[in-house]
Amino acid sequence: MKYLFEIVCVLLIIGIFVLTQVVGNQFYFFIGFVILQYMVLATAWNILGGYGGYVNFGSAGFLATGAYTSVALINFLDIGLVEQIIAGGAIAGLLGFVTGYLTLRLRGVYFAIATLALAIILETVVAHWDYVGGAAGTSILPKRKPELFDIMVVDRKTGIFANYKEFLFFLMGTVAIISVWIARYIENSKLGRGLNAIKDSEEAAECMGVPTLRLKLIATTISGAMMGVAGAPLASYLTFIDPLSAFNLEYAVNAIAMPMIGGTVSWMGPVIGALLLGTAQQVSSLWIQSELNLLIVGVLLVIFVIIAPEGIVGWFRKSRKGSRG
Amino acid sequence: MTRILANRVRVWLLGGLMAAAFVFSAPLATTAEAQSKDPIKVGFSMALSGALAGGGQQSLVAIQLWAEDMNKKGGLLGRPVELVFYDDQTNPKNVPGIYSKLLDIDKVDLIVSGYGTNLIAPAMPIAIEREMTFMGLFGMNANAKWEYEKYFSILPAGPDPAVGFSEVWFQAVQKKFQPKTIAVIAADAEFAQNLKEGAVRNAKAFGMEIVYEENYNPKTPDFTPILRAANAKKPDAIYIASYPNGSAGLVRALAEVGTDAKAVGGGMVGLQFAGIMAGLGPMLNGIANYDFFVPEPTMNLYPGASDLIDRYQAKVKAENLKVDALGYYLVPWAYANVDILGQAVQAVGSLDQDAIADYIRDNEFTSVVGKVKFGKNGEWDRPRTLVVQYQDITNNDLSQFSKAGTRKIMLPADISTGELQPFNDLRK
Repeated sequence: MKYLFEIVCVLLIIGIFVLTQVVGNQFYFFIGFVILQYMVLATAWNILGGYGGYVNFGSAGFLATGAYTSVALINFLDIGLVEQIIAGGAIAGLLGFVTGYLTLRLRGVYFAIATLALAIILETVVAHWDYVGGAAGTSILPKRKPELFDIMVVDRKTGIFANYKEFLFFLMGTVAIISVWIARYIENSKLGRGLNAIKDSEEAAECMGVPTLRLKLIATTISGAMMGVAGAPLASYLTFIDPLSAFNLEYAVNAIAMPMIGGTVSWMGPVIGALLLGTAQQVSSLWIQSELNLLIVGVLLVIFVIIAPEGIVGWFRKSRKGSRG
Repeated sequence: MTRILANRVRVWLLGGLMAAAFVFSAPLATTAEAQSKDPIKVGFSMALSGALAGGGQQSLVAIQLWAEDMNKKGGLLGRPVELVFYDDQTNPKNVPGIYSKLLDIDKVDLIVSGYGTNLIAPAMPIAIEREMTFMGLFGMNANAKWEYEKYFSILPAGPDPAVGFSEVWFQAVQKKFQPKTIAVIAADAEFAQNLKEGAVRNAKAFGMEIVYEENYNPKTPDFTPILRAANAKKPDAIYIASYPNGSAGLVRALAEVGTDAKAVGGGMVGLQFAGIMAGLGPMLNGIANYDFFVPEPTMNLYPGASDLIDRYQAKVKAENLKVDALGYYLVPWAYANVDILGQAVQAVGSLDQDAIADYIRDNEFTSVVGKVKFGKNGEWDRPRTLVVQYQDITNNDLSQFSKAGTRKIMLPADISTGELQPFNDLRK
């Protein structure tokens, strides 16, 4: 069936919507939002890092670009959450394009350092930009009763969603599913195959006629835009944002760790990694001990690098090949 | 006859024993009854790791002492008090999930905040949405945007915290030195920027010309260039709004570079922490800084605070806790944060959040931080920040800071224990 995946995606979005209507306990929406946000971030990282082999250490910078675009536009135009996501994605995508253009000659560790530097530069800029709160941070007051096309979106009695967290969870769920669809589409398209060729040998790919410059620019733009989309609702989720939380190293570490653990060769890798690691982190933070949070990431990374360097997906594929003889 | 007498003696003896058992067991029965009932759960997030862990850990011990006190007295509303808390890792990102878990999974009855503005702010929408009374610990203007009527702040900085926090420092400096020029140095961080904003407004109100105004990156390793640049403008006073690492770095830079300014200090967070005080030792002499509680004899306006500090220090020692050994800075305030909420619950006689908030808003409380009355936006109705000057510190021994004399109170005048002296007069 040609459009089976798309149908599953639509069903999943409907499923997420049903969840918001059925589940009364808001806690699950808080936890779900964080895991879905990581899913988008990891999927975005994997487009450049997994398919193209360009390791981006500045994921937090792109995510924060989306978050601070939202803050600036809330302050300036008081725009709604959907518009924030679109604008955050557009600006972070533009940043991705510029980054890709400026770092064209850089590869391997030099590219990674350049992206890390980009995040630090952005953090410094934001810390000195008083309009978005500067180093002190700023509180964001989400609209109590947001409307979209004259339809009441959030209201306890008359809205589609009873509270703001349900709305945020639904939006992030939708964004996550669209991100996964984009990643899968890229993986199976000329772009994905071209990026794989770049990953193996950029010179060889160039010689074979792969337009490496164009593909890298497209990949950095799409990856940046998706990270920006993941970050855009952050301010509304936290209702307070400062450079410390928006540019947190945890985002950069998880964006890399999740695809590495899940597997970088397929769109499923970041999804599995985000679900596994995101859930483990949330559970350990709230039920066991908060310090375990980062320890879990470290230990799992070490284990997977040693036992399954191609991640869970790669490990399964290998074991399936093995069983076939 | 003998048998009848013996029976009577037995009856009287049994009756007496039962009466004695009833009399002596009454308080125990109350406690046991309280223990057998469902506990009242008090939930909060706390910075037990990360940048603010130093303050968060001592706050947790203070809240635990309060819970112990309440349970010894028979609990709250006759029910035992149980604390439910999670480490927010000083990361605002973790706070919404924690408060949601507290309310939706742990089903806590009361909530209080973690330590610090940027960890209070992310919890505010949840408190507002659930219409919970919310006590905030050391939040600077945390309710300014929300204007939530059930928020109450434990920070003695008055109705306009940014200004109230430093006002008393400017009064002390103005009274003694009448400075004409001032330099303002502030960390590029939330709390310090709020302090700086208030200090700039106060400097203007007191007619001082700001000759140098600079923000520094909190990760700055060397502060001597900043201090040299400030000194080049020859200010009469230097107001510093800094976080713990910056405070220690600036004190070291002052020891190295020196200054001709007569008054130095103001809003240096961290100089109140035991570890930093002991580490810096004599380098602190001459610095005039804000504080909230110091072991000076005039601090008896805070009933029970000294006793609480003694118990805190004994607990830290006995249990070998890796927290601030002295606990002057936060312990009374963290205790008062839950104590005031507890007093309101007892007075109202229920867990009705509206009634609790109304009671807190309308009444004056007496706790270990003295008398507390809340005003606009849940801030204190008047500031009660202290200005202390570090004097007569001769070595790095921690125990000297638990005695009177090393941090003398300059203002408020009614509890003053010393006179502000020029910075360089106290440097040897």
